[in-house]
Amino acid sequence: MNPTVSMYLSQGIHGIAYGMILFLIASGLNIIFGMMGILNMAHAVFFMLAGYFCYQVVTLTGSFWVGLLVAPLLTAVLGVLMERLFLRRAQKVGHFGELILTMGIGSVIVAAIKKIWGTESLPLQMPGMLSGMVNIAGMSYPVYRLFVIGLALLILVFMMLLLYRTRLGKIVRAAVSDRDMVNALGININLVFMFVFGVGTWMAGVAGVAIAPILTVFPGLADQVGMDAFIVVVTGGFGSLAGAFIVSIIFGLLSSYGVQFVSQFAPVLMVVFMAIVLAFRPNGLFGVKG
Amino acid sequence: MRTMNKKLTSVVLWGFFLAVLAFFPQVFGVYYSNMVVTLAIFSVFALSLNMLMGYTGLLSFGHAMYFGFGGYGTALALKHIPGLGILPAIGLGMLAAVVLALVLCPLVVRVSGTAFAMLHLAFGQLLYVLALKLYFVTGGEDGIANFPVPGLLTESLKTAPAHMYYLAVIVLGVCIWLMWFLTKTPFGQIQVGIRDNAKRIDYLGFKVPQSKAVIYTLSALFAGVAGSIYGISHNLVSADGSLGIGMSFAPIVSIMIGGVGSFFGPIVGVAIFQLVDELILRYTESTELVMGVILVTVVMFMPRGFMGLWDTLKIKIKARWAAGAGMEKTS
Repeated sequence: MNPTVSMYLSQGIHGIAYGMILFLIASGLNIIFGMMGILNMAHAVFFMLAGYFCYQVVTLTGSFWVGLLVAPLLTAVLGVLMERLFLRRAQKVGHFGELILTMGIGSVIVAAIKKIWGTESLPLQMPGMLSGMVNIAGMSYPVYRLFVIGLALLILVFMMLLLYRTRLGKIVRAAVSDRDMVNALGININLVFMFVFGVGTWMAGVAGVAIAPILTVFPGLADQVGMDAFIVVVTGGFGSLAGAFIVSIIFGLLSSYGVQFVSQFAPVLMVVFMAIVLAFRPNGLFGVKG
Repeated sequence: MRTMNKKLTSVVLWGFFLAVLAFFPQVFGVYYSNMVVTLAIFSVFALSLNMLMGYTGLLSFGHAMYFGFGGYGTALALKHIPGLGILPAIGLGMLAAVVLALVLCPLVVRVSGTAFAMLHLAFGQLLYVLALKLYFVTGGEDGIANFPVPGLLTESLKTAPAHMYYLAVIVLGVCIWLMWFLTKTPFGQIQVGIRDNAKRIDYLGFKVPQSKAVIYTLSALFAGVAGSIYGISHNLVSADGSLGIGMSFAPIVSIMIGGVGSFFGPIVGVAIFQLVDELILRYTESTELVMGVILVTVVMFMPRGFMGLWDTLKIKIKARWAAGAGMEKTS
């Protein structure tokens, strides 16, 4: 095959893989905001924390797969604890106070990470069967990126089934549109909140583990990827999973092709896109809530 | 008699306060007078944001762009226009911020709540990234440094820190007074009305988007002055130092620590923020931990910030005092 075309295609795959990771983080952020009205500034920190957990598990057990299973669960447990111990008690201070609270918790976790694992960037070995390249239709792709795309799609399908095919999903969707009403119908809304917070941080955790072998784990990871995910949610529209998905892919492609064509201005592209979208649709592309 | 006494006390207190400010550099030296300048700069910045947040109910995630525009405006003017005085330079910085506000105004006054915050996040990040990339104008990551800083009485303010101190304190003091004055005017009352119930203000015949636009531009103006003085006093304006997302969040955090909705709350917040920063640098390295613990404590245990805590304490002490007086009478 033509080398130029194959280069474009592999750049595209890189972009989609990054977009998928963004989507995993953004959808957790999105569903938490849609339901509880909380802009969780600690979300990206949980994402990073999962990377560190995975590193720890891999150094202890030597298996990436155990890390992929355990690290997001540990992160989710911490997320649930944060919801139960802090956010629920701070409901009366309003959304602005909650935002500051999550910021505070986030920075405490970052401090703890620096204390425990240091500030150096820690490499994470890819499992043997995922490193290397695979040949499809005359082109070679890195297996790991394909694996990330597959993993994210799997979780997307799982989430869709959960949200649209189960009773629990129905309750969650109802709570997004009117939490007081759902509470009045006799459903323990606090329990649902805890569950949603747990699932949201779990997804951030999966993303953290997935990105760790690509970017290595370092304390600045939360700022770097977290900002991108935040922009995705804002542009896609709060409360819209489809918006988050589409914008994630667009941003992933923008960043990978942007680096190739206008390397200097690649970060500008995303922000310009966000500014243009918000200028015409202040609630985001698919946003419904004000 | 009592009001006379009260008036007298306040005059004496103000006189004492101004005297301390006036002789501060002579008594405490350069290090501490620089701290006062920094405190004044960030107080004006936080107060300008509080004009939007506390008084009009508009949360902005990108207020640093006005701070940064003020700084870049002044720095570029001093660098490229030879013989420019210091006050016109500050004026140009202010103008830059106001022009940016006027450009964004038609877009942002239509929205409120989360959309307002996000729109500012977008434009703030856009300007930040542009400042990083357009290095032939802004100097990229290094920023603009070593531009001339002419003084009013001396050749250069760089060698006269006391003059620098007086200039900064006077300009920023006037800003603080103006903002305080504004909250007392009928226009300031309309702002509070917009925060509490925009629809009703509309029914009363006031133009909500227009008043929002005016307060927004004024807020940008004061933020611009703060940024301009910041650039002059550090003799450096950089993207990370003046335009970054951290600079947008710092005043929000200060307002939260100090107390939302009270005029002097943000100043208290800035002072605490700075004190903590100073202490952290001396005793430990982990700024994040201390700041994080403070934020969590404030939100969990004193949701109206330190000013709120102060008010509650005052009421409690008064109640106890009154109860004690009552007991004495009955016994």
